[in-house]
Amino acid sequence: MKRWRRSVLALLLPLLTTLVLITPGTAQEGTVAVIVNPRNSITDVSSSDLRKIFNGEKRSWPAGVRIKLIVLAPGSHERLVLLRLLGMSESEYKHYWAAQVFRGDVDSEPLTVPSFGMVKEAATVFPGAIALVDARDVKPGMPLKVIKLDGHMPGDVGYSLR
Amino acid sequence: MRRNWGKRFLIHGVLVPFLFLNFGRAQNSSSEDSETISALAQQIRELQQHDRELQERIRLLEADQKTGATVEPPAPVSDASPPPAQTPPPSSSPEMHLVHGIQWRGFAELDYKVLDRRAPELGTYGFVPGSAGNFYTGDFDLFLTSRLTERTSILSEIDVEEGDAQRFRVDLRRLLLKYDANDHLRFSFGRYQTSIGFYNWAFRSASWLQTTADRPLVMEFASNGGLLPTQAVGVSVTGSIPSGKLGLNYVAEYGSSDTVRPDLNGDGLRNDENNGNQVNVGLFLTPDRFPGLRIGGSIYHDQISDLVSPAPGPGGIINPGDNGIVLSPSARLNQTIINGHLVYLSHGIEFLNEAFLIRHAPVAAGEVFNTPAFYSQFSRKFASFRPFFRYQYVNASLKNPIYDDISLRYGPSVGARYDLNDYVAFKAQWDHTERRRLPDLNGLHLQLSGAF
Repeated sequence: MKRWRRSVLALLLPLLTTLVLITPGTAQEGTVAVIVNPRNSITDVSSSDLRKIFNGEKRSWPAGVRIKLIVLAPGSHERLVLLRLLGMSESEYKHYWAAQVFRGDVDSEPLTVPSFGMVKEAATVFPGAIALVDARDVKPGMPLKVIKLDGHMPGDVGYSLR
Repeated sequence: MRRNWGKRFLIHGVLVPFLFLNFGRAQNSSSEDSETISALAQQIRELQQHDRELQERIRLLEADQKTGATVEPPAPVSDASPPPAQTPPPSSSPEMHLVHGIQWRGFAELDYKVLDRRAPELGTYGFVPGSAGNFYTGDFDLFLTSRLTERTSILSEIDVEEGDAQRFRVDLRRLLLKYDANDHLRFSFGRYQTSIGFYNWAFRSASWLQTTADRPLVMEFASNGGLLPTQAVGVSVTGSIPSGKLGLNYVAEYGSSDTVRPDLNGDGLRNDENNGNQVNVGLFLTPDRFPGLRIGGSIYHDQISDLVSPAPGPGGIINPGDNGIVLSPSARLNQTIINGHLVYLSHGIEFLNEAFLIRHAPVAAGEVFNTPAFYSQFSRKFASFRPFFRYQYVNASLKNPIYDDISLRYGPSVGARYDLNDYVAFKAQWDHTERRRLPDLNGLHLQLSGAF
């Protein structure tokens, strides 16, 4: 009987350990939050407006403050979510913004920063800042404001940015 | 026995799954290694760039403190009252170069073109007409912008273009003082590129930005034989119209063009149109439901003349009477250009379609000429490789005093663009053009273009 139990355990243990090792990997594909400067009165943005903001079509907040785009560097999950939102590859994104600036439609390309810490810093400095960040990085008390996307907060059912 | 159980636990319970997972990861990651390395290298470059900019900011702040300047905290954002205009800190964009508040960027190209006919055909951008094939440098562009205030900026585009016999001509393609009141009202004052159609709005001098090696003939710059007044000096207003999910936008321009276009057929003549003030109004929509789709149109009107003169000789000197040509009397014509376009740009697909009707009607009584033209261009990106196909058509009457050199021209262009990296592209393009009363023309155009 003991031998039978040990055999069952020997079979189950690899399965359990595999599950434990796999779980953190899937959690990395986190939800992405839309953050703005805490003094910005906006509380909600639609998916289509978010796309227009990040492709430079929409350049001012309703209050008239110029939008300042802050994006994470290539290779980050948030960057991939942004590219998916815009329907572009990394090289198309760079080409697109070079053309936007050259056309004279915008003064400069989005501010590219390498880490969440720098996003946080920039979002505090620029009154019109907006950025996409990993929702798990945003902690209570941080000088950032998470806004709703299509009426949903990150983690809600129906939240689409992930 | 207990020791054996412990070993089995270690091997089956921990090591096997661990090895299994790592084997799986290794298989997946082998194809992603190069992307990861290049992404990391890019991040390092950007970190270094950012570090340099932070050092510069620290240096500036220290200098400010020494002179007793104080840093004001940012004003709160509220719907009721926008904060006062303030100059933002310098952008740390890695794509533009910042020198004393002026951002600049350059574009350059090297071309090789060969035609199967030695019969004279206008040489543009340094291509020698009648030659079997030659190299030329095309356009060299310097683009400068500077933010003056929160809503005001200045923009200039200086173009150095190769002409015949490796002479270079400097052209101030654009010089604009821009004021963005809000998303609905953006003003530009100065020399602008007219928004007739999509192509002239979307693409400027830099070849690197466009998929094909050259512009469609109807959208070619007028100074290179193109049909339309591509540049003007005046005022341009653009913005979005509140229209919900329709995404309606407008553009309105009022200015002076003064187009001078050389004849395409190599007769050595050029047409000084002496344009009056032009009005151009356009509308386009970008519906939310179909991201990347743009449908629009524009209508342009001005008055022009058909003053023909010999093209400048060596040194840019014009000698009336050269080529045995006597200056023609200048008739005044009403010129109306109607455009409609349908464009889709998303998910690596570029699908451009534009049609034009160019109408010339004498101010006094006389024959009216309608010139229809269109082009359609499709391309799809596969990693760094983008094959493209374009078909274009222009049909001008031989009796049209403005476009008598163009006549009927149509045919396909096939080629591909290969992006060597984010800044350099190589393009190869084959063109076939059928011409009324003239033999077909085949051409191969190779181009290396880049941004710096």
